[in-house]
Amino acid sequence: MASEMRSIGKPTPRIDARERVTGQARYTGDVQLPGMLYARVLRSPYPHARIVRIDVSKAKAMPGVHAILTKENCRIQWSSGDSRNKRLLFNDPVRFVGDAVAAVAASDRHTAEEALQQIVMEYEELPFVLDMEQALAPGAPEIHPGGNLSPNNEGERAPETDQRGDVERGFAEADQVFEDVYISKHHNNAQMEPRVSVAQWEGSRLTVWASTQGISNCRRDLAKDLGLPLNQVRVICQYMGGGFGNKNQCHDFDLMASALAKETGRPVKLEFTRAEDFVAVHGRWPTKQYYKVGVKKDGSLTAIRMKAYSGMGPYRKGSGGVAGAQLYRCPNVKTEVYPVYTNMAVSANYRAPSYPQGVFGIESLMDHIAHTLGINPLDFRLKNMTEKYHDEVPYSSYGLRDCVTRGAEALGWRQKWHPPASDRGAQKQGVGMAMGYFGAGLGMSSAVLKLNPDGSLQVHVAVTDIGTAAKTTMGLLGAEAMEIPFERVSVLSGDTDRAPYSVGESGSRTTNYTGYAVVTAAEDLKRQLRELAAQSWSVAADAVQYSQGAVYMQDRPDRRTAIAEILKGNPDGLIAQATTDPKLKGVSRNSFAAHFVELEVDTETGDIRILKYVAAHDSGRILNPLTAGSQVKGGVAQGVSMALREELLYDQMTGIPLNPGYYGARIVTHGDVPDVEVIFVETADPYGPYGAKSVGEPPIVPSVAAIANAVFNATGIRIKELPITRSKILDAAPGVRLEGGRA
Amino acid sequence: MGFETTRRDFIRNTGWGIASAAAVSGLDIHGPLLRAEPIEVPSVAPTSRIRLTVNQRPYALGVEDRWTLAEVLRDHLGLTGTKVACDRGECGACTVLLEGRAVYACSYLAVWADGKEVLTVEGLAQGEQLDPLQEAFIEHDGPQCGFCTSGQLMAARALLNQVPEPTPPQVREGLAGNLCRCSNYNRYVEAVLAAAGKEGRHGK
Repeated sequence: MASEMRSIGKPTPRIDARERVTGQARYTGDVQLPGMLYARVLRSPYPHARIVRIDVSKAKAMPGVHAILTKENCRIQWSSGDSRNKRLLFNDPVRFVGDAVAAVAASDRHTAEEALQQIVMEYEELPFVLDMEQALAPGAPEIHPGGNLSPNNEGERAPETDQRGDVERGFAEADQVFEDVYISKHHNNAQMEPRVSVAQWEGSRLTVWASTQGISNCRRDLAKDLGLPLNQVRVICQYMGGGFGNKNQCHDFDLMASALAKETGRPVKLEFTRAEDFVAVHGRWPTKQYYKVGVKKDGSLTAIRMKAYSGMGPYRKGSGGVAGAQLYRCPNVKTEVYPVYTNMAVSANYRAPSYPQGVFGIESLMDHIAHTLGINPLDFRLKNMTEKYHDEVPYSSYGLRDCVTRGAEALGWRQKWHPPASDRGAQKQGVGMAMGYFGAGLGMSSAVLKLNPDGSLQVHVAVTDIGTAAKTTMGLLGAEAMEIPFERVSVLSGDTDRAPYSVGESGSRTTNYTGYAVVTAAEDLKRQLRELAAQSWSVAADAVQYSQGAVYMQDRPDRRTAIAEILKGNPDGLIAQATTDPKLKGVSRNSFAAHFVELEVDTETGDIRILKYVAAHDSGRILNPLTAGSQVKGGVAQGVSMALREELLYDQMTGIPLNPGYYGARIVTHGDVPDVEVIFVETADPYGPYGAKSVGEPPIVPSVAAIANAVFNATGIRIKELPITRSKILDAAPGVRLEGGRA
Repeated sequence: MGFETTRRDFIRNTGWGIASAAAVSGLDIHGPLLRAEPIEVPSVAPTSRIRLTVNQRPYALGVEDRWTLAEVLRDHLGLTGTKVACDRGECGACTVLLEGRAVYACSYLAVWADGKEVLTVEGLAQGEQLDPLQEAFIEHDGPQCGFCTSGQLMAARALLNQVPEPTPPQVREGLAGNLCRCSNYNRYVEAVLAAAGKEGRHGK
């Protein structure tokens, strides 16, 4: 019986949508336990300082204060807080404004906050450095012993380097060589759910209600840092209010809550304020990217060289990568990235961590080259776009060219593109485009499927749905593989006590990693069903077939026996477990995208209004067009915010961040975002479950560059430093400054 | 954090908080108190007794004067559907209806709500029957992570109560005070317009 897709590919509302719209969804901060204490954290007001004295006596004497942790009584290491250095929960010296110095547990949060103010801290200020290049200059304040260039993956004080061909030969062969610098800024993930962790000890067993993107990794890290066997640690996260990369693994607040709960013998809820969230966790790493590109007169590329600096803050929590050059076919490429320690806020993963800033650089520069050579930017891309990874390894599936052509058509590129700054008035319209890609990796994850005697299915996966609809996707995959209605499937997730290892909601991996395990476990369930039937019918197992919730003899497809009949007298139903780790064979696996934007710049006010936005994506087969579309729309809007608004500003004299919080960050809201037209270029990837690739992170990748390029097409102004603020437009717009008295 | 004035600092500095330091021996709290243990430490903060109607249910409560409406709803009445995301009136996640108007419950002291009527996300549905906005939010995939959803729903409810058939720009303006970092703004606007259409047809 040939089966067509029953669940996959249809717009399906989320499996837990009702809970999410009725207030029933229980997030970590909603957990209240009997006798629970509230905890707050005290932070360094200095960007770099040695702690001279800590006096907690006054705070400790306050009624309602139960415990205070500082470096003097707590030496717990936060191992996932730094991959290169030993980072403790409370460090001395402190290395950025916001570095934790104490945590207080009290009977309520007001008392905890008041106790923070009673802790006496004395510091000896040390010289500090905020700028990446200054941090590498001779004589710069040393943030860690050995210097401010963070060691690479091999442990050497050298940049991360990637090269093919010979760039010098490429430049020699070029008709024209372009050099330029592009700058992106630190900005915060700013997920809506604040940091919160609730820890409870029952004897030697620890339960942590975390707000984490990966309960399995969180549990592993908690056990490691607290010296506990894995079976003594349980992590629960049933609903998760966003993270975009800054809630991976275990965080210091999980460890602090656990330590305070141990110390007090009471459950502890530790909460960060929003301002703490902005400065004390992490945001996207700022970059400074130096490019040198050689081209022939016909627009073909002969060499790409990039040397980039990434500001990691004082702790190495992320890769610091700068991606983008892979978008282009070119025989000679060399990229070097220097991850640098500074005394700014820590930088690490934020949605497509290495990509939108790198793509902003390379796609702005390619746009500039096309313009200089008199080639339409669309034709320049069609001529030079990547078709093989590193021009060598085939992609497992490839839809980039279709993304570009279909996106261009949907925007009306050929009709709307004009030479830069064609409009004569103050309101100037223009179009821009950019390409993007994102690695769609494969890897290890597990699933347990339980087929109940009534034929209903339980999917046990350690997924914490951070907003991507991963729970729903796991249910859809279970339903599809078992050929049963989606309504017959429940997903049990978010609790390490009831689900096996899952990779965690990061790297846009859940569908590809955990989804693969779900499908594999379902195959095993079907095998078990066939064997049970074969036994009871006394036939060979391969004579029995399964389809759509029933088994039948191969030669009698009309006589079907339902699951419930097969499992009668079997109260536990059937259980299948799969741990899968698929490998790529001679191919590179990526999602692709091309974004097209039409906008209007008011050169008198600097205001930018987006008129039309088209996002074309190759994410393989789309398992749920409704929720995948939401991912794209949301990712684009985040990109708009990154392009036009966001930057964590610092006072250069004191090293103090000036605008932590939503208002200061100027994050986009309802009136600021365009309607996004989403086009899915569906390729059937041979590796993903039912042909799926990655969808969560790619939408933010090309958006920043597409907007920057449209601003150039509208005004002739090339903004090379993010964000593209009004003042930058006004500073660059010739002769259109407001005259005195005209305001 | 030393470098910013929190709302509570502000409240304290303006005398709303510890104006008189008269200790109150325990909290005289009536009504359904969901905290499992009484607060064991006598509060040093001034307290008041207030009456609230929340989701049509009357409460008589003893509250500390510094407690926000959001704190009372979440921590003391167990109505955790109302979310606190910024705790300083910047994001709208805590939006509830007070006498039918949308307010940020994180920036509204509980004592100010004395004698007033509050509607939270838990009170939107009539039993099992969801509000048309809730249905539309499901159908149009409004919530991604869902943390801003309660606030978006309540702001949308306030809007439709005032403007039953809003235009798209009116919806965007009506919800402008409600951030969504998943940035699912397109879907939320679609959903509110769909719900408005449905309510119009049913003459609600």
